[in-house]
Amino acid sequence: MDLAFGAEDQQFREEIRQFLTDNLPADIQQRQRDTRTLASNTHDLQRWMQILDARGWSVPHWETAYGGTDWSPLKKFIFEEELHQADAPEFHWQSTHMIGPIIYMFGSDAQKARYLPSIRRGDYLWCQGFSEPGAGSDLVSLKTTAIREGDHFRVNGQKIWTSAAFESEWGFFLVKTDTNVKPQRGISFLLIDMETPGITVRRIGQINGEAELCEVFLDDVMVPAENLVGEAGMGWTYAKALLDHERTVSSFIHFNKRELRRAKEIAQAETAGGRRLIDDPQTRARLVALDAQVTALEWSVLRVLADEPNRYGGTAAASTLKITGSRLQQAITELQADLLGPRALRYYDPVDWNEPASPLWPHHVAGRTSAALISRASTIYGGSEQVQKNILSKIAFGL
Amino acid sequence: MNFDLTDEQTMICDSAERLIRELGALERRRERIARGEGFDRDLWSQSAELGWLALCVPEDAGGLGGSITDIALLMIELGRGMASDPLISSAILCSTLLAGSDWEGRADWIEQIMSGNGRLAFANLEPGDRAEWPAPRGTTLKAEGNGFVLNGAKLLVQDGEGADGYIVTASIPGEQSQALLFVPADAEGLIQDHYRLIDGSRAADLRFDHAPISGGQVIGRGDGVAALLEDAIARASVATLASAIGSMEACLDICSDYLKTRQQFGQPIGKFQALQHMMTDMLVTTHNARSNLYHLLSRMDGDRDERAAALASARLAIGQAGLSVGRTGVQLHGGYGVTDEYVISHHYRYLMALEKRFGDSQAYGAMLADQLFGPIAA
Repeated sequence: MDLAFGAEDQQFREEIRQFLTDNLPADIQQRQRDTRTLASNTHDLQRWMQILDARGWSVPHWETAYGGTDWSPLKKFIFEEELHQADAPEFHWQSTHMIGPIIYMFGSDAQKARYLPSIRRGDYLWCQGFSEPGAGSDLVSLKTTAIREGDHFRVNGQKIWTSAAFESEWGFFLVKTDTNVKPQRGISFLLIDMETPGITVRRIGQINGEAELCEVFLDDVMVPAENLVGEAGMGWTYAKALLDHERTVSSFIHFNKRELRRAKEIAQAETAGGRRLIDDPQTRARLVALDAQVTALEWSVLRVLADEPNRYGGTAAASTLKITGSRLQQAITELQADLLGPRALRYYDPVDWNEPASPLWPHHVAGRTSAALISRASTIYGGSEQVQKNILSKIAFGL
Repeated sequence: MNFDLTDEQTMICDSAERLIRELGALERRRERIARGEGFDRDLWSQSAELGWLALCVPEDAGGLGGSITDIALLMIELGRGMASDPLISSAILCSTLLAGSDWEGRADWIEQIMSGNGRLAFANLEPGDRAEWPAPRGTTLKAEGNGFVLNGAKLLVQDGEGADGYIVTASIPGEQSQALLFVPADAEGLIQDHYRLIDGSRAADLRFDHAPISGGQVIGRGDGVAALLEDAIARASVATLASAIGSMEACLDICSDYLKTRQQFGQPIGKFQALQHMMTDMLVTTHNARSNLYHLLSRMDGDRDERAAALASARLAIGQAGLSVGRTGVQLHGGYGVTDEYVISHHYRYLMALEKRFGDSQAYGAMLADQLFGPIAA
């Protein structure tokens, strides 16, 4: 066992820090710090992706042949951590971390040539059409059909919880191309231009006032057959391969670390009865309990990255990350809101980015309750906590 | 960074697992506790023979000088069988204190400890203490005649009953740092009281009533003592936490087996989703607790403040994790969970005891807060 970051890793961290100091635009950084939403500002993200791309670092986790790096998993982890700590814009995961790898792993040469460069540059966003009204945690029961007609698929159905569909140029969809086989075998992976006639996007008003999540209605949408990724009937396999490719994402470790730091800053800025909250024993107890849990989460991530042998199997370790990471997102953002006391109640319109801070309403207030509210989703999406536990009790204990 | 065991580590773990399998039966444990014995003597002599006691002693003090990770891995295996005592108190804590000193009795006692023939216990805790970290002591050492006299009281000296001697902390009037003293079990002016703890181990209260102490009994005094105490308590804490991880991992196996065998409503109770989810909560908690231990191990050889923060963090997290896993394990066993006849209640009590050893998770939580945010402003 060697539990230390090596000298080379430390040097790499310094290199990334220097790059961020030199290249992360101050205005983008400030907007990220003051952000009132969990999502990145699209325009800032595009500018930032171009800067990263110029350095060859916009998709470091990809295979080198497609513009990625040969960094070890640990270095990729350090890279992402430093970006988060510097308040750089979040990657648009659906684009760089989901469809990008899917295309280079399973797509045709034509698809690779057409889509990968634009994903690396962050030219436009992709959205993910997996869930349906009747297929949430039970994804395999999805109903959207894609029937082959000549050199097209005719797509009919409805998707839901499609993040950023309203501002995405492309979407990747799980659709049923064969209804006569076992559900898993009849699902295919299809790329769809969101401008195609027959697509209607409806934004869903969220618990926090944002409307990032969407419903996507597909009525006789004609999709060129060349947009099928890999083989028909393999969509389920590809989607699962993606999960294996990104086993530590669901931990939200970098988000959790950054937001815990923010909670400490709020506790240092806020007072109760003339005393800073950071000097209040109850607040300190909540903060240190979360700090110790975030430490555990970080090392649980490192264990997965280093392929620690696990008697319960790799999937069990990944499920553990999801359960722990999602609970922490909720606990940390809820603490942030609590630390604001009554000021946590003010509603901030997510569209209005320009309201200045004031002595009564300092910068650290806006957006905190919004984050706490939407974080309730973290134990629901990507397989709810209860579904994770059903899976875990089966794979770990054979129950 | 890698988490693979070296060949040597695999060997240590395998032999520990084997020994626990041979000697770890619940009936043997219950009979031993009923006889009023605080630990398993056969296991203790085996630990000496297998070189585990020497493993815990630094090389330059004549030991095998295992790394702190080696020691932690060993303690995880012993923790599975609740067999960490008195290895922690004697071979890890006291031998670290001796190894770090230049006391004349050092070599002899380290030899005694490593061979398993002699055993020392650490007498530090006093009424009002919540965490054992260097602090002024109510027990005082005063010069008198050619030597000193010792006055004061210590409680809950772990494995103190039957120890051959004690390493005692005391304050010297007018001096900032504490002194470390060697007091043999049969010393004049030493009054002992022995009792059983909830986990079946045994402890002692020591009262020093004008106990004469010679200069030759002073293991250390002055500036170096606080750092030495911190080193020893940190190492003993790693062993304590690792033992807790082993116990928690054993709870997972015990409960998973129980859920598959216990039948109610015509089926194994493991078919019930509510119980499955409790089981997975235990798994998540245990897995993350091991991560906390790894974090601490990664900080053991570095900056002292970072080590103190990592120690406090691990004590807080693993202490709470152990209690949670232990009590969930009891609940999963229904009525049998609260009997002495099922091993799960032994693990729960063992985890409770470990949570309070050298300070409880609340005290270490407060210490972590001081490390991270500075002391509370007046």
